[in-house]
Amino acid sequence: MPLKHYEHCCSTIQALASLGKIEGVIPLLHGPQPCSYQNQVGSMSCRPANLVTAGTLVNKSDVIFGGEEGLKMQVRNLYNKYHPKVIVIINTCIPQLIGEDIEGVIMELKQEIPDLKVTTCVSGFNFPRSMPLGSDASWVAVLDAIETQEKVLGSIGIIGRTGQDAGNLASLEMYFKKAEIPYFVFPTAHIDSMSEIARAEKYYPIHITPWLTCKHLTEKFGGEVEFIEIPAGIQGTSNFLHAIADRQNSQKLHDLVEEEEKRITPELEKIRARFAKEKVRMLMVDGPANEVSVGKIFAEFGAEVFVIPSMKNKFYKQEKKLMQERYGVTFIEEDFDLLGDIIDEVKPTAVSVEFQAQPECVSRLVPTFINMLYLCEYGYDYAIDLGTNFFKNMHKPVYENWQGLMQKYGGKTNG
Amino acid sequence: MADNKKDFKMQELHTPSAFEGALWACIGIKGADTIFHSPPGCYINQHVNALVNDWTCELYTTNLSYANIMQGAEERMETTLEKIVAKKPGAIFIVTAPTVEVTRDDVEGVAKKVGFKDTVIIHPPIGGSLVDGKEKAFTSLLDLVDPTVKKVPKSVNIIGPTFSTFNWRADVHELTRMLAGIGVTVNCVYTAGATIEQIKNVAQAELNLCIYPYDSGIGVAKEMQKRFDIPYKADIIPIGFGNSAAWLESVAEFFKLDPKAYLKECMDNAFEFISSNMVFTVTFEMTAALSLENANTYAVGISEFLNKEAGVDIVMTALSNPDAAKRLEALCNDVLINATIEEKRDKFVETGPMVIYGNFYDKKVSMDEGFKNFIFSDIPTIGYLSSENCPFMGFMGAKYLIEGLVNEVYMGIFLETKGDMMGSISTGSVPWDIKAEQAMIKVGEMIPHFVRATALKKLHQEAEKIAQERGTNVTLAIFREVSDKFTPTKFKAKFSQVFEDDAAPAPAVEAEKDEEIPVSSLTFTLPWDDAAKGMLELVPSPFRQAAVSGTEDYAREHGRDDVIGATMEEFRKELGM
Repeated sequence: MPLKHYEHCCSTIQALASLGKIEGVIPLLHGPQPCSYQNQVGSMSCRPANLVTAGTLVNKSDVIFGGEEGLKMQVRNLYNKYHPKVIVIINTCIPQLIGEDIEGVIMELKQEIPDLKVTTCVSGFNFPRSMPLGSDASWVAVLDAIETQEKVLGSIGIIGRTGQDAGNLASLEMYFKKAEIPYFVFPTAHIDSMSEIARAEKYYPIHITPWLTCKHLTEKFGGEVEFIEIPAGIQGTSNFLHAIADRQNSQKLHDLVEEEEKRITPELEKIRARFAKEKVRMLMVDGPANEVSVGKIFAEFGAEVFVIPSMKNKFYKQEKKLMQERYGVTFIEEDFDLLGDIIDEVKPTAVSVEFQAQPECVSRLVPTFINMLYLCEYGYDYAIDLGTNFFKNMHKPVYENWQGLMQKYGGKTNG
Repeated sequence: MADNKKDFKMQELHTPSAFEGALWACIGIKGADTIFHSPPGCYINQHVNALVNDWTCELYTTNLSYANIMQGAEERMETTLEKIVAKKPGAIFIVTAPTVEVTRDDVEGVAKKVGFKDTVIIHPPIGGSLVDGKEKAFTSLLDLVDPTVKKVPKSVNIIGPTFSTFNWRADVHELTRMLAGIGVTVNCVYTAGATIEQIKNVAQAELNLCIYPYDSGIGVAKEMQKRFDIPYKADIIPIGFGNSAAWLESVAEFFKLDPKAYLKECMDNAFEFISSNMVFTVTFEMTAALSLENANTYAVGISEFLNKEAGVDIVMTALSNPDAAKRLEALCNDVLINATIEEKRDKFVETGPMVIYGNFYDKKVSMDEGFKNFIFSDIPTIGYLSSENCPFMGFMGAKYLIEGLVNEVYMGIFLETKGDMMGSISTGSVPWDIKAEQAMIKVGEMIPHFVRATALKKLHQEAEKIAQERGTNVTLAIFREVSDKFTPTKFKAKFSQVFEDDAAPAPAVEAEKDEEIPVSSLTFTLPWDDAAKGMLELVPSPFRQAAVSGTEDYAREHGRDDVIGATMEEFRKELGM
């Protein structure tokens, strides 16, 4: 059993933050006060704007006598005050533990307010080891509120990871637009546009997280799901787009990919030359699943990459196999006590970790990147930007300076 | 003639003279009275401007009239001097004003006649610099010093602080604390905050420490070495963790003390501090400009510290000392010497720093240009309250510099990139032109990672809002407009690279130019009074709807539920229009 947990946060935060980025949806956090407080404050930094983070503030008597009445009251309050199109009840640990009948509450509320759509998702200890799956669970809840629609012939659906992807997928969308392939994106920043996903004929997840979402999409709306690979890095993006071009029979998309590769290749070669010269070992520690995608980008540059994954679902296994075969990436799936133990073993040039691991890494004078800050990592330009600025952003001279200072005056580092 | 006119630049002067230097060196000494031999106007200005930066001082004047100056002001001097002598001060300092320097009053003759023993007369050189004035006063004050006093073992003088030296009080407090940590006492701070007795006994110290080597103090230190045989140190600026340790180590070495245990304690604490979440995450992606013409030592010390120990990219420095400038060229590409305010403003815009360190004028011009993150670090300030609490020097100073920077910039950028707490997240499905999407990707690469995702979301949302109001796609022109307006701090210069090929001038707006949009046809979501609506007439027609949205957002952010003329005026000023 590990001594610490290095993920960014509880899956409840992920559900709260993702749902909170969708206009027309209000998440209602069904849990006790500390759960509301911690999850609201914790998601503050990644919320783009208004987020009504209503909570039921479950108390002791709710635990004994049931919190359903309080939940119903808060749903009514939210509906009367904001008239959202959808309310998603995020069912946290305590109500799960006492076996609250959330579905029953939803049924009653549907009869009481026919216009209102209420759905639910479970978070908290339902996903004890995988914070990003809070998004997956919340997207399923959103899909529950979407009506079946007529499919658009020859259309594709691009299935993203978290709320952060909503409105941030231009790096992929523009190729479909240029190639005149009808496409729908999920998530988007508005429930209306997000609902359009039901019209897609085929779904292409672009990350490893939305496995449940994709399963639910096909079950509810029909259509096929194909996980090609994460379109991150040059080869990853090209493979993804070429695969879609093949399926859609679109020479235009093939041509666009080739044009982009011509544009990007000289820059990629420069980056590879630098990585070849400076030999980088990157340790990617479980983040919002970008330990896999950003890890793939580094591996393409020529870095030796070690990944501690945040999840092990079906899409992850496919991507893992691909990264092992293509780039020889090492995956560390066994439990470990402290990150320092892994750092001592791997001896990385730099690590990519979550905030709470930063003091542990910096105090070892290991250059540290915060993986929560490296999102929307799709497409060509992201990879080139990451590679071009990697050595500058690593700030090795600052660490070396500190190493010198501590050797001379202090001496108490963990390195 | 036309060319001359074009080259002429109006500017406000931001560098004090030798007269300020001499006065500031004197008025900080406790138990002594300073007379400014001057017309009342000069006196009032000097007194008031000194008090905006410091706590209190005893400054008097001879209140000279035109006639006094023309006919000789010795009598006025004598009367004033006699009145001051009656107060029985520890010493009297007389600083002559420029007008008196022109007519060359015989101040020395008057002082001799009055016969007060501890009188020091300082004639600052007309045309001299702040440093010239300070050094002149510092050296003149040595006449009061008793050269025969016995040395106090392990004692130092801190040379350089004067009134109106930015943050001197906190720096002295911290350096004194550090010196005490290795068993060294401060004999005298020469001059700010010292008592007249400490000034007279300045020769008791075994070592002089010049803490502003790129500003002032070295001249008087050399003089003290000559007169009182006190060596001095001016080679290390005690700013930053490393240099603070090196400075203290060097002092310890002089006194043959062992500083190891104390330094270890300080550096362990420093290391724990810099290992925390909020330090490198923010500082590694931070760019800073330092505009410190009156604090060259700060410019060098802070730049080197932020760059070497915190990874901050120093994109511009402006100072007045050529030696300091030369030293900074190693870490900064844009080093300006004695630049005008306009030159500095242009450079701020060109380099687009995330934070600016500077004086009041820098604050004003940077605000006008849309920069929001600013840290006061130089005079003039117009008004700035400081105490012992927030040093820039020493170990505490290094921590405070990082603390101030992170808290100012992180929170500033964070709040700038957030949408309204009560606003909508999205306006619905709005199509984007491909060029606008490409521009958004490029703009994203220029935003620091610690706010990139949220900042892009805000740009995305705002662009769609405008497009919807105008009934168009999100065009490149709209995205440019949004990028200019809603960015984390000011990235105009950087962003312009993205747009310069295609979007200048903004095509959609150009196309709309001829179409008059009456104010009555605009969509308002808040009540507007007539004055505010009247001001909309002044806005070019194609921009009116955007002006309505922007002003309403501004009003909401400031807790208003309507828009009145004053709201629009405030918003206009904030945008620098």
